[in-house]
Amino acid sequence: MSGIDAVKKIVETEAQARRIVDEASSKAQQIISQTREQAERIRQEAIGRAQQQREEILREAKSKAEAEALQSDKETEQILKTYRKLSEERKSAAVSKAVELILNA
Amino acid sequence: MSESLEKLQNRILSDAKHQSEETIKEAQAKSQQILEEARQRAQRESEDIIAKANVEAESIRRSILSSKVRVNRLRILDEKNRIVEDIIHSVEDQLSSISKSEQFEETAQRFVTEAVKAVDTDQPVVRIGFRDMSKRNLDEVSKVLPKGGKLVIDEKPIDNLGGVVATDPEGKVVFNNTFKSRLERLDNQLLTLISSTVFGE
Repeated sequence: MSGIDAVKKIVETEAQARRIVDEASSKAQQIISQTREQAERIRQEAIGRAQQQREEILREAKSKAEAEALQSDKETEQILKTYRKLSEERKSAAVSKAVELILNA
Repeated sequence: MSESLEKLQNRILSDAKHQSEETIKEAQAKSQQILEEARQRAQRESEDIIAKANVEAESIRRSILSSKVRVNRLRILDEKNRIVEDIIHSVEDQLSSISKSEQFEETAQRFVTEAVKAVDTDQPVVRIGFRDMSKRNLDEVSKVLPKGGKLVIDEKPIDNLGGVVATDPEGKVVFNNTFKSRLERLDNQLLTLISSTVFGE
Protein backbone atom coordinates (compact mmCIF):
# COMPACT_ATOMS: atom_id res chain seq x y z
CA MET A 1 0.00 0.00 0.00
CA SER A 2 1.29 3.36 -0.97
CA GLY A 3 1.65 6.24 1.48
CA ILE A 4 -1.18 8.10 -0.25
CA ASP A 5 -3.50 5.11 0.13
CA ALA A 6 -2.61 4.89 3.80
CA VAL A 7 -3.42 8.56 4.33
CA LYS A 8 -6.73 8.07 2.47
CA LYS A 9 -7.59 5.16 4.75
CA ILE A 10 -6.83 7.23 7.86
CA VAL A 11 -8.93 10.14 6.57
CA GLU A 12 -11.86 7.75 5.90
CA THR A 13 -11.50 6.17 9.31
CA GLU A 14 -11.46 9.58 11.01
CA ALA A 15 -14.58 10.56 9.07
CA GLN A 16 -16.24 7.37 10.26
CA ALA A 17 -15.14 8.13 13.83
CA ARG A 18 -16.54 11.67 13.58
CA ARG A 19 -19.86 10.26 12.39
CA ILE A 20 -19.93 7.89 15.36
CA VAL A 21 -19.27 10.79 17.75
CA ASP A 22 -21.78 13.05 15.98
CA GLU A 23 -24.45 10.37 16.08
CA ALA A 24 -23.83 9.86 19.79
CA SER A 25 -24.00 13.61 20.38
CA SER A 26 -27.25 13.81 18.44
CA LYS A 27 -28.67 10.85 20.37
CA ALA A 28 -27.62 12.48 23.64
CA GLN A 29 -29.43 15.68 22.69
CA GLN A 30 -32.47 13.64 21.80
CA ILE A 31 -32.34 11.87 25.17
CA ILE A 32 -32.16 15.21 27.00
CA SER A 33 -34.92 16.70 24.89
CA GLN A 34 -37.22 13.70 25.47
CA THR A 35 -36.38 13.76 29.15
CA ARG A 36 -37.33 17.42 29.41
CA GLU A 37 -40.67 16.64 27.78
CA GLN A 38 -41.17 13.71 30.16
CA ALA A 39 -40.24 15.94 33.12
CA GLU A 40 -42.83 18.52 32.07
CA ARG A 41 -45.43 15.75 31.72
CA ILE A 42 -44.58 14.50 35.21
CA ARG A 43 -44.92 18.02 36.57
CA GLN A 44 -48.22 18.67 34.77
CA GLU A 45 -49.66 15.34 35.91
CA ALA A 46 -48.65 16.03 39.52
CA ILE A 47 -50.15 19.52 39.39
CA GLY A 48 -53.29 18.12 37.79
CA ARG A 49 -53.64 15.60 40.62
CA ALA A 50 -53.04 18.33 43.18
CA GLN A 51 -55.67 20.53 41.54
CA GLN A 52 -58.19 17.69 41.71
CA GLN A 53 -57.28 17.17 45.34
CA ARG A 54 -57.75 20.90 45.92
CA GLU A 55 -61.24 20.79 44.40
CA GLU A 56 -62.08 17.84 46.63
CA ILE A 57 -60.76 19.62 49.75
CA LEU A 58 -62.84 22.72 48.95
CA ARG A 59 -65.95 20.66 48.17
CA GLU A 60 -65.60 18.76 51.44
CA ALA A 61 -65.03 21.96 53.42
CA LYS A 62 -68.13 23.57 51.92
CA SER A 63 -70.21 20.50 52.51
CA LYS A 64 -68.98 20.17 56.11
CA ALA A 65 -69.61 23.86 56.80
CA GLU A 66 -73.12 23.62 55.38
CA ALA A 67 -73.80 20.66 57.65
CA GLU A 68 -72.54 22.68 60.63
CA ALA A 69 -74.68 25.62 59.48
CA LEU A 70 -77.69 23.32 59.42
CA GLN A 71 -76.89 22.34 63.00
CA SER A 72 -76.77 26.03 63.90
CA ASP A 73 -80.24 26.43 62.33
CA LYS A 74 -81.57 23.55 64.42
CA GLU A 75 -80.08 25.01 67.61
CA THR A 76 -81.54 28.41 66.75
CA GLU A 77 -84.98 26.89 66.17
CA GLN A 78 -84.72 25.25 69.58
CA ILE A 79 -83.75 28.55 71.23
CA LEU A 80 -86.64 30.36 69.50
CA LYS A 81 -89.04 27.63 70.62
CA THR A 82 -87.76 27.97 74.20
CA TYR A 83 -88.16 31.77 74.10
CA ARG A 84 -91.73 31.47 72.82
CA LYS A 85 -92.54 29.01 75.58
CA LEU A 86 -90.93 31.22 78.23
CA SER A 87 -92.80 34.20 76.84
CA GLU A 88 -96.14 32.39 77.16
CA GLU A 89 -95.35 31.25 80.69
CA ARG A 90 -93.87 34.47 82.02
CA LYS A 91 -95.54 37.24 80.05
CA SER A 92 -98.12 37.91 82.73
CA ALA A 93 -95.46 38.20 85.47
CA ALA A 94 -93.31 40.44 83.27
CA VAL A 95 -96.25 42.74 82.53
CA SER A 96 -97.14 43.01 86.22
CA LYS A 97 -93.57 43.79 87.24
CA ALA A 98 -93.18 46.34 84.43
CA VAL A 99 -96.47 48.08 85.34
CA GLU A 100 -95.35 48.13 88.95
CA LEU A 101 -92.04 49.71 87.92
CA ILE A 102 -93.68 52.43 85.84
CA LEU A 103 -96.19 53.24 88.53
CA ASN A 104 -93.85 53.24 91.51
CA ALA A 105 -90.36 54.08 90.30
CA MET B 1 3.01 -0.87 7.48
CA SER B 2 -0.40 -2.41 6.74
CA GLU B 3 -0.66 -3.92 10.23
CA SER B 4 0.17 -0.69 12.02
CA LEU B 5 -2.31 1.21 9.83
CA GLU B 6 -5.04 -1.24 10.80
CA LYS B 7 -4.16 -0.78 14.44
CA LEU B 8 -4.33 2.97 14.04
CA GLN B 9 -7.73 2.70 12.35
CA ASN B 10 -8.98 0.45 15.14
CA ARG B 11 -7.65 2.87 17.71
CA ILE B 12 -9.39 5.83 16.05
CA LEU B 13 -12.69 3.94 15.89
CA SER B 14 -12.29 2.61 19.42
CA ASP B 15 -11.70 6.13 20.75
CA ALA B 16 -14.73 7.40 18.88
CA LYS B 17 -16.90 4.60 20.29
CA HIS B 18 -15.61 5.23 23.78
CA GLN B 19 -16.30 8.95 23.42
CA SER B 20 -19.79 8.28 22.11
CA GLU B 21 -20.52 5.88 24.99
CA GLU B 22 -19.38 8.56 27.45
CA THR B 23 -21.60 11.12 25.74
CA ILE B 24 -24.61 8.83 26.00
CA LYS B 25 -23.84 7.97 29.62
CA GLU B 26 -23.57 11.66 30.48
CA ALA B 27 -26.85 12.33 28.71
CA GLN B 28 -28.50 9.50 30.62
CA ALA B 29 -27.13 10.78 33.92
CA LYS B 30 -28.29 14.27 33.15
CA SER B 31 -31.61 12.83 32.14
CA GLN B 32 -31.97 11.15 35.52
CA GLN B 33 -31.08 14.40 37.21
CA ILE B 34 -33.67 16.33 35.16
CA LEU B 35 -36.35 13.77 36.06
CA GLU B 36 -35.44 13.83 39.73
CA GLU B 37 -35.53 17.62 39.82
CA ALA B 38 -38.83 17.61 37.96
CA ARG B 39 -40.31 15.16 40.46
CA GLN B 40 -39.08 17.24 43.39
CA ARG B 41 -40.40 20.43 41.82
CA ALA B 42 -43.74 18.78 41.06
CA GLN B 43 -43.87 17.54 44.65
CA ARG B 44 -43.19 21.03 46.01
CA GLU B 45 -45.77 22.65 43.73
CA SER B 46 -48.36 19.99 44.60
CA GLU B 47 -47.74 20.47 48.32
CA ASP B 48 -48.05 24.20 47.85
CA ILE B 49 -51.38 23.80 46.03
CA ILE B 50 -52.71 21.50 48.79
CA ALA B 51 -51.49 23.79 51.58
CA LYS B 52 -53.21 26.78 49.95
CA ALA B 53 -56.35 24.69 49.39
CA ASN B 54 -56.45 23.84 53.12
CA VAL B 55 -56.19 27.53 54.02
CA GLU B 56 -58.87 28.39 51.45
CA ALA B 57 -61.09 25.58 52.76
CA GLU B 58 -60.85 26.93 56.31
CA SER B 59 -61.68 30.39 55.03
CA ILE B 60 -64.74 29.06 53.13
CA ARG B 61 -65.83 27.14 56.22
CA ARG B 62 -65.51 30.19 58.45
CA SER B 63 -67.29 32.39 55.95
CA ILE B 64 -70.27 30.02 55.64
CA LEU B 65 -70.48 29.49 59.40
CA SER B 66 -70.02 33.10 60.45
CA SER B 67 -72.64 34.18 57.95
CA LYS B 68 -75.07 31.58 59.31
CA VAL B 69 -74.28 32.42 62.94
CA ARG B 70 -74.85 36.12 62.17
CA VAL B 71 -78.22 35.40 60.55
CA ASN B 72 -79.27 33.17 63.44
CA ARG B 73 -78.18 35.69 66.06
CA LEU B 74 -80.33 38.26 64.28
CA ARG B 75 -83.28 35.84 64.25
CA ILE B 76 -82.88 35.32 68.01
CA LEU B 77 -82.55 39.05 68.59
CA ASP B 78 -85.63 39.74 66.44
CA GLU B 79 -87.64 37.18 68.38
CA LYS B 80 -86.55 38.63 71.72
CA ASN B 81 -87.42 42.13 70.50
CA ARG B 82 -90.81 40.90 69.31
CA ILE B 83 -91.51 39.34 72.71
CA VAL B 84 -90.37 42.45 74.59
CA GLU B 85 -92.41 44.72 72.28
CA ASP B 86 -95.46 42.54 72.85
CA ILE B 87 -95.01 42.80 76.62
CA ILE B 88 -94.53 46.57 76.43
CA HIS B 89 -97.77 46.87 74.43
CA SER B 90 -99.55 44.92 77.16
CA VAL B 91 -97.96 47.18 79.78
CA GLU B 92 -99.17 50.24 77.86
CA ASP B 93 -102.68 48.74 77.65
CA GLN B 94 -102.76 48.17 81.41
CA LEU B 95 -101.36 51.61 82.16
CA SER B 96 -103.82 53.36 79.87
CA SER B 97 -106.75 51.71 81.63
CA ILE B 98 -105.51 52.41 85.15
CA SER B 99 -108.44 54.69 85.93
CA LYS B 100 -110.56 51.55 86.28
CA SER B 101 -108.26 50.10 88.90
CA GLU B 102 -108.18 50.58 92.64
CA GLN B 103 -104.69 51.99 92.39
CA PHE B 104 -105.77 54.96 90.34
CA GLU B 105 -106.33 57.62 92.98
CA GLU B 106 -103.18 56.80 94.87
CA THR B 107 -101.17 56.74 91.63
CA ALA B 108 -102.61 59.97 90.31
CA GLN B 109 -101.90 61.67 93.64
CA ARG B 110 -98.35 60.46 93.60
CA PHE B 111 -97.78 61.54 89.98
CA VAL B 112 -99.14 65.00 90.78
CA THR B 113 -97.01 65.25 93.93
CA GLU B 114 -93.87 64.28 92.02
CA ALA B 115 -94.61 66.72 89.19
CA VAL B 116 -95.38 69.61 91.57
CA LYS B 117 -92.20 68.94 93.48
CA ALA B 118 -90.22 68.88 90.24
CA VAL B 119 -91.42 72.28 88.99
CA ASP B 120 -90.83 73.71 92.49
CA THR B 121 -93.31 76.60 92.53
CA ASP B 122 -96.15 77.79 94.83
CA GLN B 123 -98.52 78.18 91.91
CA PRO B 124 -98.12 75.08 89.81
CA VAL B 125 -100.46 74.41 86.92
CA VAL B 126 -101.13 70.70 86.73
CA ARG B 127 -102.74 69.11 83.68
CA ILE B 128 -104.14 65.68 84.27
CA GLY B 129 -105.63 63.35 81.68
CA PHE B 130 -106.27 59.61 81.86
CA ARG B 131 -108.52 57.47 79.74
CA ASP B 132 -112.02 56.97 81.19
CA MET B 133 -111.13 59.16 84.16
CA SER B 134 -114.16 60.44 86.11
CA LYS B 135 -114.43 63.63 88.09
CA ARG B 136 -115.04 61.55 91.17
CA ASN B 137 -111.58 60.03 90.74
CA LEU B 138 -110.01 63.45 91.04
CA ASP B 139 -111.42 64.61 94.35
CA GLU B 140 -108.50 63.17 96.26
CA VAL B 141 -106.01 64.36 93.68
CA SER B 142 -106.93 68.01 94.21
CA LYS B 143 -106.00 67.69 97.85
CA VAL B 144 -102.31 67.18 97.15
CA LEU B 145 -102.02 70.46 95.23
CA PRO B 146 -100.60 73.48 97.09
CA LYS B 147 -103.06 76.30 97.82
CA GLY B 148 -102.01 78.39 94.84
CA GLY B 149 -102.05 75.41 92.50
CA LYS B 150 -104.41 74.88 89.61
CA LEU B 151 -105.67 71.56 88.29
CA VAL B 152 -106.59 71.38 84.60
CA ILE B 153 -108.46 68.29 83.54
CA ASP B 154 -107.90 66.97 80.02
CA GLU B 155 -110.74 64.94 78.62
CA LYS B 156 -108.36 62.87 76.57
CA PRO B 157 -105.42 60.92 77.94
CA ILE B 158 -102.27 63.04 77.74
CA ASP B 159 -99.65 61.54 75.33
CA ASN B 160 -102.19 58.81 74.42
CA LEU B 161 -101.53 56.70 77.54
CA GLY B 162 -102.43 59.28 80.14
CA GLY B 163 -100.62 61.04 82.95
CA VAL B 164 -99.78 64.37 84.48
CA VAL B 165 -97.89 67.44 83.24
CA ALA B 166 -96.95 70.20 85.69
CA THR B 167 -95.65 73.66 84.79
CA ASP B 168 -94.88 76.89 86.63
CA PRO B 169 -97.39 79.74 86.03
CA GLU B 170 -95.32 81.10 83.11
CA GLY B 171 -95.03 77.70 81.51
CA LYS B 172 -91.23 77.94 81.49
CA VAL B 173 -90.59 74.95 83.71
CA VAL B 174 -92.33 71.79 82.60
CA PHE B 175 -92.29 68.37 84.18
CA ASN B 176 -93.87 65.62 82.14
CA ASN B 177 -95.07 62.80 84.33
CA THR B 178 -97.16 60.94 81.79
CA PHE B 179 -96.93 57.20 81.38
CA LYS B 180 -95.23 57.72 78.05
CA SER B 181 -92.47 59.88 79.53
CA ARG B 182 -92.09 57.53 82.49
CA LEU B 183 -91.73 54.63 80.03
CA GLU B 184 -89.04 56.59 78.21
CA ARG B 185 -87.21 57.58 81.41
CA LEU B 186 -87.26 54.02 82.72
CA ASP B 187 -86.53 52.43 79.36
CA ASN B 188 -83.28 50.70 80.37
CA GLN B 189 -84.63 49.43 83.69
CA LEU B 190 -87.79 48.27 81.95
CA LEU B 191 -85.92 46.26 79.32
CA THR B 192 -83.65 44.72 81.96
CA LEU B 193 -86.65 43.82 84.11
CA ILE B 194 -88.57 42.24 81.21
CA SER B 195 -85.49 40.35 79.97
CA SER B 196 -84.65 39.00 83.39
CA THR B 197 -88.24 37.98 84.05
CA VAL B 198 -88.86 36.30 80.69
CA PHE B 199 -85.44 35.09 79.60
CA GLY B 200 -83.72 34.85 82.97
CA GLU B 201 -80.93 37.16 81.80
